[in-house]
Formats: sequence, C-alpha cells, structure tokens
Amino acid sequence: MNKIGFLQFLEYRGPEIFKLTGEHMKITGVAVFLAILVGVPLGIYITKNRKVTNVILSTANVFQTLPSLALFGLIIPIMGIGFKPAIFVLFLYALLPIIKNTYIGINSIDPSIIEAGRGMGMTKTQILTMVEIPLALPIIMGGIRISTVINIGTATIAALIGAGGLGDFIFKGISMGNNHLILAGAIPTALLAISVDFILGLVEKKLTPQGVKNS
Amino acid sequence: MIELKNVTKSFDGKNKVVKNLNLRVEKGEFVVLIGESGCGKTTTMKMINLLEKPTKGEIFIDGENVKGQDLMELRRNIGYVIQKVGLFPHMTIGENIELVPTLKKWSKEEKKARAFELLELMDLPAEDFYYRYPSELSGGQQQRIGIARALAVNPEIILMDEPFSALDPITREKLQDEMTNLQEELGKTIVFVTHDMDEALKLADKIAVIKDGEVIQFDTPEEILKNPANDFVEYFFGKDRMWKTPEMLLAKDIMKKKFGKIGVNGSPARAIEIMKERETNTLIVVDREGEKKQKPVGVVTRNMIMRNSGHSMKMREIMASSEDFIIDENTNMVEVLNIMSKINFRSIPIVNKDKLLVGAITPISLLNIITEISPSIEGGEL
Repeated sequence: MNKIGFLQFLEYRGPEIFKLTGEHMKITGVAVFLAILVGVPLGIYITKNRKVTNVILSTANVFQTLPSLALFGLIIPIMGIGFKPAIFVLFLYALLPIIKNTYIGINSIDPSIIEAGRGMGMTKTQILTMVEIPLALPIIMGGIRISTVINIGTATIAALIGAGGLGDFIFKGISMGNNHLILAGAIPTALLAISVDFILGLVEKKLTPQGVKNS
Repeated sequence: MIELKNVTKSFDGKNKVVKNLNLRVEKGEFVVLIGESGCGKTTTMKMINLLEKPTKGEIFIDGENVKGQDLMELRRNIGYVIQKVGLFPHMTIGENIELVPTLKKWSKEEKKARAFELLELMDLPAEDFYYRYPSELSGGQQQRIGIARALAVNPEIILMDEPFSALDPITREKLQDEMTNLQEELGKTIVFVTHDMDEALKLADKIAVIKDGEVIQFDTPEEILKNPANDFVEYFFGKDRMWKTPEMLLAKDIMKKKFGKIGVNGSPARAIEIMKERETNTLIVVDREGEKKQKPVGVVTRNMIMRNSGHSMKMREIMASSEDFIIDENTNMVEVLNIMSKINFRSIPIVNKDKLLVGAITPISLLNIITEISPSIEGGEL
C-alpha cells in the first residue's frame, strides 16, 4: 500500500507524534482540571441542597448525551475555532462523571456516621473535610478517571475545530487515504488512554483510606 | 441534671411527635426512655443535645437553658452513642476515640493517654486496638469503642440511642453487664433509649414510659412493675410480671448459684481481689474456704473494707454478721424484699435447712427473675 514500512514512517514522523501527543494531553488535562474545579464543589453542593440535585444532574446529563461531533459543531458559531472552544466542549463532557461520582460518593456514606459526627459536635465543615471527602475520595477519583479516559478519546475530534492533538493525524490520514497516518494518531491515543487509566487507577487505590480497603 | 420543660416537637407543623413533655433527670441517674417505635423517645433524647430543635418548650442542663449555648460546644460536652455505632471507617480506633478531644484541640500526648485509658476501661488491649480499624472489629467491640468515644472528654451526661439492640443476644447481655459496672464506677448522668423492657429493667435507675409523645409513667423499675400507671404500662411490661403473685417465688428460685465469697480468715487485699474478679462490691463470708459444705457467717462490702483498712484485719473482724439476713431457701420473695430493703449491702446469702450456703440474692438476680418468670405465670401471655 505504502512504499515505506510503518516503523520507518514512525521514525520519520516521530517528533511530530510527540508534539501532537503533548498537545493532546494538554487539551484533555486542562479540560479535566477545569471540570474537577467545577464538578467536585457542584457535586458536594447538590448533596446538601436536594432541591437542585435533579436540575444539575440532568443538565450535566444532557451534555453527556449530545454526540460530541454535534457539540463541536454547535460551539463554532458561539466560540469560533481553536483551543478554547475545544477545551470548553471537553470540559462539558468531563463534568457529568465527576459531579455524579462526587454526589454518589458522599451520598453513599452510612448516615449513622454523619449522625455520630453531628452528635459529637462536629461542624458541617468538619464533617465535610474530616469525614465525607476522605470517604468519598476514591469514588470521586473514579469519576475523574472515567472523565479523563473518555476525554482522551473525544479530544481526537477536537482536531476538527483546529485544536490540534492526535486527531490531526487521524483526520489527515482519512482524507489522504494514508493508513500509516491514521495509525500514528490512533495508536498513541489508545496507548495514552490505557496508560492514563492505569495510572489514575493506582491513584484511586492510593486514595482509598486504609480502614476501608479490606472491607 | 437535665430538665425538659413542656417540650413539644413537630416535624411538619401538624403532628406532634413529642407533646408537652416534662422530664427531670438527676445528676448520676441512669434514666431509660422506653416505648414502642415511633413514640417519640429518640426525638426526646435528641432534643437534649439539640440534634432536634424543640418546637416549643425549654431544656435545661444544670440549670442553664441549652438554647443560648454554643451548639458545638454543647454537643462536645455530651457523650453520644447510637445504635449503628457510626465509627469513622477511615480512621483508626485511636483516632475515633480521640475525635472529640481533637475537636477540643487537646495535645497529642493527652489524647493518646486518654484513648489508652479508655481502651483499658473497655477491657480491650490498648496497644493492639489503638492502631486497628473499625472494620477489623466485631459488632460488640465496635460498640465498646462507641462508648469509649463518648467518654473521651469525660462528659457529665451521656445520651445512648438503642446502643445494644443491633447486637446478638449474648454480646448484648455482656455489654449490658459492662454498662452496669461502668455506671457504678463512673456515675454518669445517662439518658438511654430502648424498646427492650428487659434491658430497661436491668439498667435503669428510673424508667420513663413514653407513648404518643407523652411520659405516661416515670418511676423506678420496681415501682413501675408493682404499680403500673395504666393498662398500657402494664401491658407493655408484660401483664402480671410476677408481682401479682410474689408469694409464689421462693428465694431458691431467685438466687444466683455463682457469686463472690471469701473465708472468715481472708485478708482485705484478697477480698478486694475477688471483688474485682467478680465485678461486685459485696462478698459473702463463709466459715471455711475451699470446701463444698460451707456455712455463711456474714457479708462484707467494699466500703466496710475501706473503713477498716487496718493491716492485719481478717474478714471475721470486718464483716457484718447477723442471723437476720441469712435467709432460708424457702423464704418467699416478699420477705426477701423486706429484708433487702433493711440492709445496705447488695448480696445476701441463702441457706438450706442444714444452714449450708446454697446461693445468693442480689438486685441483679431479682431483676433477672422478673424478666424470666412472667411467661410461666400467665401461660406465656405477654
């Protein structure tokens, strides 16, 4: 099909692959970071204010349901193309798993633990920081992990609106009918997703409190 | 001292869970709130540390209205034990016990010393348990930690919400016994919620029977059994719980076969040792130690020993001795109670027709019989 082999191709394109992988990680990382900044507090907030729980969860759900391609398309008239709109869309995608897991993590704590805390004279803030967050942390981390992995995949589409990243290779490869190019985008993306999933899995384990691990 | 004055609680503004309730718990008293589920007993208890705010009425602790007080400080100074224990699973046993001291910003050394002290008090090897996690403990051990945690800053008042009802019967009984001993030692003011009348009779100095958010009767266990205020109380505690026919009960039915005893020549130190081992304050003094046939000659209490802490004293010189409180095994319950009300110690020897010691009666054995006997009198009716 092609005159040179895939390995030679990789050698030739190596620096570019690294550059795009870096970009890819940056887009995903920034989006997830922002989603954590917003999602975790929001998730905590909705455990305390039951009235808005459904509103917020279903709103976040809507963004999750929209096809990513459509969402990228919708954002162009509003924010144009490039890095920022891509971050914004990915941020919206990352939001739901984080909010939802934070909410579930805190909600799944045995109510008697919270009651004991109140009865012993802990303030709401103390209950949150000393009990709820430490206990919910592994589940929250699980949400972050899901968001990140999904976003690594979705971020390839961000190349369509000029955000760069490994999607560049994939789309170029498709339009040029160049399989090497497609693979040069797809394989690093897959590897990135797998290794990030593995690393965040370790972090999740690390964050699980000692006393909870065995049970 | 805790005082609830005309306290009313309603969650929805219409139905009153607690109605105009008055209750006065004296310092050092073990008060049990008992009633069917949904009667408002737990809500009543939770209003004392303002986990529930009274809709109307006032609550005083040592004469001070709780309303004006710093809520967190108030709760930190009242021990709180709940049915599901609620230990923090991500913290070690040590950290759990040290929680309130941590909130009160004690130093590390103070906290650890106190936690060790409490673990010892709860009969759990501190060196081992301090570093373990709640999930590694049995239900009974967890609740012991729950109690230790409530005692951490040595509060005057402890609130307990059905602390033993989730435990298996054997563990429950054990913890109840421990609670009795603990209370004898510490003399806290305790408000204890339960729906288990056996538990109430076993633990309480006074019982408040609650129905539909009102106190129907507030009295000593004996008085409640003897003179129930109305049909509900009578029904609740089991109709005819033997009190109607106490003549039928004989000393030999009531007595315990295992109890603390010591020979007339025993030393005070040895008596104290036996008391510790038996977890009692009263021993029966017998003529010969270590033999099967023994005759009781007197009774000795911890106080008597303390008063006569002379060096070479023997039980013979310390004990109280009288024919009056050595009871024949066929004496009926009414007489036993009469004799017990006249003496000021808590264990009396029971003898057979040959004047040989066969058992002892203590307040606990009396309460035990109350709970055991009722079905057999009325053909199982409860």
